[in-house]
Amino acid sequence: MKTISSPRAGERAAISKLAAIIGSILLLTACAGEPPPSAFPGMSVYGDFAYLANNFHLSKWDLKSGAQVWQFPATQDTATPIGPFSGTPAKYGDWIIIGGSAGLNGGYDRHVYAVSDATGAEVWRFTGVREFVDGVVTDGKLIFAPSGDGVLYALDPSNRDTNGEPRVAWKFQTGNRLWSRPLLADGRLYQASFDHTLYAIDAATGQEIWRFDTPNAPVAVQPALRNGVLYFASFDGYAYAVNAADGTLKWKSPVDGWVWTDPSVGDTLLYMGDVRGRVYAFDLQSGERKWHFDALDSIKAHPVLANDLLYIVSMDTFVYALDPLGAGRDSNGKVDRNAAKWRNETLGRRLMTTPVIYGDNLLVPPLDGEVKIWSLNAKTGERGIRMPAAPTGTTMP
Amino acid sequence: MGNIFDFLVVNPMTNIMLLIYGLFNNYVIAIVLLTVLIRLLTLPLNLKQMVSSIKMAALQPQMKALQEKYKNDPQTLSAEMRKLGFNPLSGCLPTLIQFPILIGLYNAIMRTMAVNPFSLLELGKHVYSFLPGLSSLVPINSQFLLWDLGQPDPFFVVPILVVATTYFSTKFTMAPTTDPQMKQTNQMMSWMMPIMFGFFMLSAPVGLGIYWVISNLIGIGQYYLLKPRLDSARALHAAPAATTMTAVAVASPAPKAPPPKSKVKPKSTAKIAKSGAESGKK
Repeated sequence: MKTISSPRAGERAAISKLAAIIGSILLLTACAGEPPPSAFPGMSVYGDFAYLANNFHLSKWDLKSGAQVWQFPATQDTATPIGPFSGTPAKYGDWIIIGGSAGLNGGYDRHVYAVSDATGAEVWRFTGVREFVDGVVTDGKLIFAPSGDGVLYALDPSNRDTNGEPRVAWKFQTGNRLWSRPLLADGRLYQASFDHTLYAIDAATGQEIWRFDTPNAPVAVQPALRNGVLYFASFDGYAYAVNAADGTLKWKSPVDGWVWTDPSVGDTLLYMGDVRGRVYAFDLQSGERKWHFDALDSIKAHPVLANDLLYIVSMDTFVYALDPLGAGRDSNGKVDRNAAKWRNETLGRRLMTTPVIYGDNLLVPPLDGEVKIWSLNAKTGERGIRMPAAPTGTTMP
Repeated sequence: MGNIFDFLVVNPMTNIMLLIYGLFNNYVIAIVLLTVLIRLLTLPLNLKQMVSSIKMAALQPQMKALQEKYKNDPQTLSAEMRKLGFNPLSGCLPTLIQFPILIGLYNAIMRTMAVNPFSLLELGKHVYSFLPGLSSLVPINSQFLLWDLGQPDPFFVVPILVVATTYFSTKFTMAPTTDPQMKQTNQMMSWMMPIMFGFFMLSAPVGLGIYWVISNLIGIGQYYLLKPRLDSARALHAAPAATTMTAVAVASPAPKAPPPKSKVKPKSTAKIAKSGAESGKK
């Protein structure tokens, strides 16, 4: 029998529903499990093991078996949770170093963690002021940790205080967030800052050598170095080539959106992608744009050059293997998506982590979902093993 | 769907917010001005909601009579209610329409504050390239007095202000009612809403809380500015309500004393109510 509620009951029901919706949202916000990622995951491969920093865990994977070796933290302490983690894990002796990252709603973890490579147990932590979004780099002695407080910290793990925290050998202050790792080369650190500047810093002393000011916007990439020239791009709509010796401009060339990918350098071309999904190839010498390719969503992961292919992963969920020289481009220099050597949709998940070549395979970590790492045949894009393996009895998607 | 919502609501708000921030170089001013702008744009909806609440409150006696009369005939009851001009959604619909706008503003604030890499990436995707110089404003300076606008308030000042202003805003803007059950519901809402928002603000960025406080204060101010007009709407509804009460009584045979005949029909009440609502808008 069809029932019709009374008007007052109807009004009350409407109010109750409204309250229930708001209540549910708040309840979900407060009580849901692991929140969605808020920063960009990072992966590195050392030997036959992959290290993946994604959301609230750093995990180690055996690439031969596809099994997870450990995850850090093994269990989250609900009273004092740590993480999220993002950026590329770095190996320092028997330790894996990772930074705490920025979370949802403005929260952040302001620590750099050293984790035992063997066991995944915490060895020490350094307490900073703000988040360490992109991880660290190391010269084997010092650990260089860029922070959201605008400071590049040089940590000396051989010199620790009574709490076990490494002492700061030196620190270099910039004017805004450091959300990208520095490039370490020839005893220098090249650090990009949100204060619109690229700095060259003496890695031993922390003294500034030169600075290059982009006029209008933050720089959030680790520059690439080739033959004495640094290549990078900014949110100001330009790609730059700067002489590493003195920081003078060699050329600059326009791009269409914010560039947040570290550039990759080939023999003659420079590659990068932007947040609107466009991939660019510039001539290394002149900066002339040779070709471009449009993915369907943002490019955050760095382009990877290997096997005479340029691998691009995008938030549009596709892995693209392109011809590095832009074969099949039209008269405007546009490479069509159909001209890709191969492309592979990875479980329909967004891809933001720079893939890594491992033997004949391309390791691709999806941003979220059950599969942490996909292993694809680097030449064909065919799916290989997934990590973790699918539960017994299920078919591979 | 998300893309359409972004395109129509979130992106314009995000870019307007950046433009305002660029003009004043102060994010709090940007939040305040954008909030004022949005409250002005949603003023007709607010007004409609207020008048509708008054109308519904005025219709309560007739509705009660109809409920009693047709308690065993829900279909006729529903038809009679419609004739009376009752619409259970009329009070909530404007609120529901405002929800996407509020969600859009929330997203715009979260994006422009760019508290984490993801929100900054989203901002980068949606900054209008035809407006030069917006990218140079990023990241916004989120420091305001003692607060980092992108962080939860460590001093709990903003959550307390959110609770207080939400309480007064809810209390002042609720339509008065004589129905004890509605009164109870209103009372519950006037406490539940502030507590929920306060709880949410404990972990939300200060910038969002400032938006909420400003929005509440504007809502309260708006209510006082519109009060004379609302009072006149209330008076308009109160008079025909009494007439219709009689009409309903006529239509329902009373067991003891049959009421006097009246020429006023329920349909005309609906018209009066409608004209009253329209007069309230003027």
